[in-house]
Amino acid sequence: MDNQHAASLLQAQTGQLLSDFLLGESPHDEQRGREREREKGKGRRPDFRIPRARVLDGGERLQIIDTLIAVIGGVYCHLPQKRAAYALDPVQALQLLRAQVAALSEGEFHLALTSIISGLRDAHTRYSGPGAKQGAVAALPFLVEQYGPYDAPTFVVSKVSAPELIKDARFKSGVILESWNSIPFARAVDLHADRETGGRPDARRARALESLTFRALECGPPPDEMAVNIVYRASPRGTLRETRIPWRVVQPERAQTNHQPGSRASRYIAADPAAEAVRRTKKLMFSGEVWEADRGGVAIARDEKWVKWIRTRFQDALAVRIVKNSSPGELGYLRIWSFDVEDDDAFIAEIMRLLDILPDSGLILDLRGNPGGLIWAAERLLQLFTPNPIKPARFSLLASPMTRAMASSPFNRMEFEAWLPSLEAAIATGEPYSQSLPLTDPAWCNDIGQKYSGPVVCVVDPNTYSSGDLFVAGFADNEIGLVVCVGEATGAGGANVWTHFDLREALRSTSFELNALPPDVGYTLAIRRALRSGAADGLPIEDLGVPGIAYEMTLDDLLHENRDLIAFCAGLLSGIPQTAMKVQIEERTMSIATRGLDELETYMNGRPFEAVRGISDGTLQLPRPDAEIVEFVGRRNGEICQRRRLVLNAG
Amino acid sequence: MSLIVAGRIVPLTNDRKVAQSENASFQGRVWIGDDGRIAAVTRGAGVAATVAHSVRSAEFDNAPVVDVGNDLVVPGFIDLHSHLAYATLPLWIEPNRTVPFQHHDIWPTRPTYAESITWPAYAFIEAAPAELLAYAEIRALVGGTTSIQGSPPSNRPLDGWLVRNIEDETLDGEIGRHQVLASTLTLKPEQLGERAISMRQGATFIYHCAEGRPGSIVQREYRAAHTAGCLQRRLVAIHTNAIDPASYNTWSDPGAIVWSPFSNLWLYGTTTDVPSALAREISLCIGSDWGPSGTRNVLGELKVASLISEAKGWGLSPFDLVKMITANPGDVLAEAWQRQAGRLQPGALGDVVVIASPTEGASRSDPFKTILRATETDVRLVIVNGKPLYGTEQLMQQASSVQTSRISVNGETRRLALTRFVGNDEAWSYKDVLKRLEEVRNDPQAAIESARRLAFAAIRTGAPAPLRLALDMPTGRVPVGGLPKDLSKIIVPPIQPLVHDEAFFASIPGRGFHEGLLDGLGEFYG
Repeated sequence: MDNQHAASLLQAQTGQLLSDFLLGESPHDEQRGREREREKGKGRRPDFRIPRARVLDGGERLQIIDTLIAVIGGVYCHLPQKRAAYALDPVQALQLLRAQVAALSEGEFHLALTSIISGLRDAHTRYSGPGAKQGAVAALPFLVEQYGPYDAPTFVVSKVSAPELIKDARFKSGVILESWNSIPFARAVDLHADRETGGRPDARRARALESLTFRALECGPPPDEMAVNIVYRASPRGTLRETRIPWRVVQPERAQTNHQPGSRASRYIAADPAAEAVRRTKKLMFSGEVWEADRGGVAIARDEKWVKWIRTRFQDALAVRIVKNSSPGELGYLRIWSFDVEDDDAFIAEIMRLLDILPDSGLILDLRGNPGGLIWAAERLLQLFTPNPIKPARFSLLASPMTRAMASSPFNRMEFEAWLPSLEAAIATGEPYSQSLPLTDPAWCNDIGQKYSGPVVCVVDPNTYSSGDLFVAGFADNEIGLVVCVGEATGAGGANVWTHFDLREALRSTSFELNALPPDVGYTLAIRRALRSGAADGLPIEDLGVPGIAYEMTLDDLLHENRDLIAFCAGLLSGIPQTAMKVQIEERTMSIATRGLDELETYMNGRPFEAVRGISDGTLQLPRPDAEIVEFVGRRNGEICQRRRLVLNAG
Repeated sequence: MSLIVAGRIVPLTNDRKVAQSENASFQGRVWIGDDGRIAAVTRGAGVAATVAHSVRSAEFDNAPVVDVGNDLVVPGFIDLHSHLAYATLPLWIEPNRTVPFQHHDIWPTRPTYAESITWPAYAFIEAAPAELLAYAEIRALVGGTTSIQGSPPSNRPLDGWLVRNIEDETLDGEIGRHQVLASTLTLKPEQLGERAISMRQGATFIYHCAEGRPGSIVQREYRAAHTAGCLQRRLVAIHTNAIDPASYNTWSDPGAIVWSPFSNLWLYGTTTDVPSALAREISLCIGSDWGPSGTRNVLGELKVASLISEAKGWGLSPFDLVKMITANPGDVLAEAWQRQAGRLQPGALGDVVVIASPTEGASRSDPFKTILRATETDVRLVIVNGKPLYGTEQLMQQASSVQTSRISVNGETRRLALTRFVGNDEAWSYKDVLKRLEEVRNDPQAAIESARRLAFAAIRTGAPAPLRLALDMPTGRVPVGGLPKDLSKIIVPPIQPLVHDEAFFASIPGRGFHEGLLDGLGEFYG
């Protein structure tokens, strides 16, 4: 990175002090505006200062509350479950807030409102305050992670950002945190967890640990303090030291490959918007070079101290490398940071390219911290790792007059017509939900087929959320491989999420038409509830998540690129019988290299091409048939272990 | 602006002050006032002929006079059954199907339905709704239609633009919206009950009912309408070809049936039992239906009706048939609008079409035969609400039409008074309309995505919502979400010409289930 880019990155990482952001001079004034324009003209990065929030008047507050009462009561898909799980009534709480709305200060109003919404423990469903906070994230320039047993964790700083942002030179990666603003660190995390979303205590703690140092201001209140006082040690028996680090406010921006508001894909999102903003902020703070590359749309390979990553143009969502391990030898490691992509075809094509580079002896799919994204991307990806057809999750709507009106609007026929009969039937059946239907058509989940031969293990944690949950649920329910879980289960976000704009458009021309909200105020809402398939058929993901084989993180994991975790996964993979199949198509012939298989079936345009062929390890040459689609199925002891489908004459 | 049209008047009137009989014709004038209504219909072609009501004579002092000579001045045609959203599409058949469909719930389930019909139509309604409407309405005008049913559901009123959109018409605010209700999809009993109430309160209800082969299960839709109380005078039942004709007896105070013989024969091989309906004194109207199984306009459908009548020996005269696209639907609309349509008489809507007469023996020829045989080329002028919207250069000039653009129809030049759907009176040419539709057709994926983003941006910024239309026909077998995963897989077929052309006639023989009955349609077009 050249000096100019380094300076520009540092400026982005530095952002603005939270104290200035909340209390300082507003950059709205004309002079500052002119200065910023001049700076742009000189090719300099624009000012990162963020306009201060506007104050809502009483009428605007009522607009917000009335809208939330309508949508939470009318379309919020988890309402019955949340009422049952947490003994709360958000609609009544909003009604009560409505009665007091004029008497509250601005701060009290937002706090009361966000408390009601966050009380749902649903990271999909968020209230977003006035404009000043859009896209902004309050950040501390270090990352805290925990290792060890759940009931006696150790909290360490696993990463630090630019040294310019931390005055204390001893405060660096590896230090152990003892207290936070004079509160024992574990207690501070637990206290903060009370404010967090997440159905299970471990999920709340995981999010609390993350939000202790990163807060998406679009989705929640800013930190109470302007700076944190931290007591830490360099080693378990080291001297206690104290440092003070101010909160900063940064703008992590969105990657070029992220989904675009208003696109068709944007209706099929399952994601935690706050976690996505935090994920981007972590990238800005700790992988600045990659963050910079995202903005320019340039593919880079980020080489770090211990590891070499493979270049990918989806670097915002993916990180790939080959890991060496003693038991199975080389393994593939694919980190899926996010499913927040606009083009799932391109995303999956890129993963197919990367899988081709990786060894077929085993693959670790790491989805820890994945806040979700495009449902199609998550569910269609599953097919690459299994010879069997994928059954996607299914989604249902709350059965209510509002969802019926929405589904019966002629303008929503394409989107909701399939749900309408069951929504209407619910009047007679008393069902609280519509029929559940897939959002990713089963045909789309199986349009490519298996591409990876080796065994796969999927690593998750309580911050694996939403589309991340859906991927893991599909991974488990379609029996693709083992799930390893750091914590009890995945983050348990089971829904398709819409914005106010999506809902407003869908409810237009119905008797439930929504009014505009005050400028820049918004919300996201869980609108279609996800249910699992396979053995867990019908089980909701929300608040339950997907459990796996338990794993406790180690200090080595935090400081040395998941060293122990990878060894643990390698051990699991080495115990799985391995088979492989690689097909190459030449002009006149096809070669099929197999390992560990004893039977081969060949299909041409969906029909058997020849009798089942007994095979052993090696390469088989067959004449290239005159067919559009050829498919090979490899069995071992009768079980289908490999399947490849190739399109020969497309178009 | 008032307007006088002089020519051979075919008023189809039941006002005996205008003519002694409904099938009379005479040289005379139609006087259309500033309010878009017919002030008078007078006899005599001379300049001295004046409007009988002297109190209104000042209104016509400076009115342009369009003299069409011996050409026929006829009430504007009314198409009571159409689906504008699907107008651009060609005739559709399910490949390899050898037997007619049983009823209307079958063909939407066929594998090629969605890709051939739903998705192309969706591309246009999503990405170019105003252009789609313009195309469909221009096509109606070119066929002499002044009022058309089957407008797609819309997020804003469609009245007052080009042809009258029957479900949306308010007569410049004189009547309330929703005076005419319609449903393409089969309604549930409670919905039918609501319609029964609406009809008793003065609304007209146009309902697709019992569409299929006789005896098929959809005949119960007619029974359901009966049970719900919908068999009223204000019911307009489209098709009813599945029912036992004896069932018409249960319609004791009969309304109207819309007959779409082309579509019926194309899909089911049979059509509505017109003589039985007429025997029960049910009013018969003709509708062109939609692109995938219909004619281009109601003037074309008229010829199909004639072919069928002749083939089946029903004995419908040209006068009977012409009434089915003028006076009969006009009377239906008069119930809803409280204004006569489809007849040229004082107080009626100023909707007029001029049809060319044969050059020889014009004054002696049967005007109804002339109308029956007329093609798009013979449509010389179309006036809606007293406003000339389409016609030959000469007549449009005589009518002092403004904001017009050139349009070529069957190689002849016409002028079209089309303005942009949104905004004021900026002229808009058919060429531009077609250009945009072709853009969508060439890249439906980009067009759909772009339209969605624009709609989203509008809602985000608080800008007025752009025009939005919805499909009114069954969507068929589609994935959840209604669209293919890859929008680039949407193939939009070529946009069909505005007129019945050789390619259309060539696509009829051997296709559909009409057993050759429709093969003769092309002969009308010489």
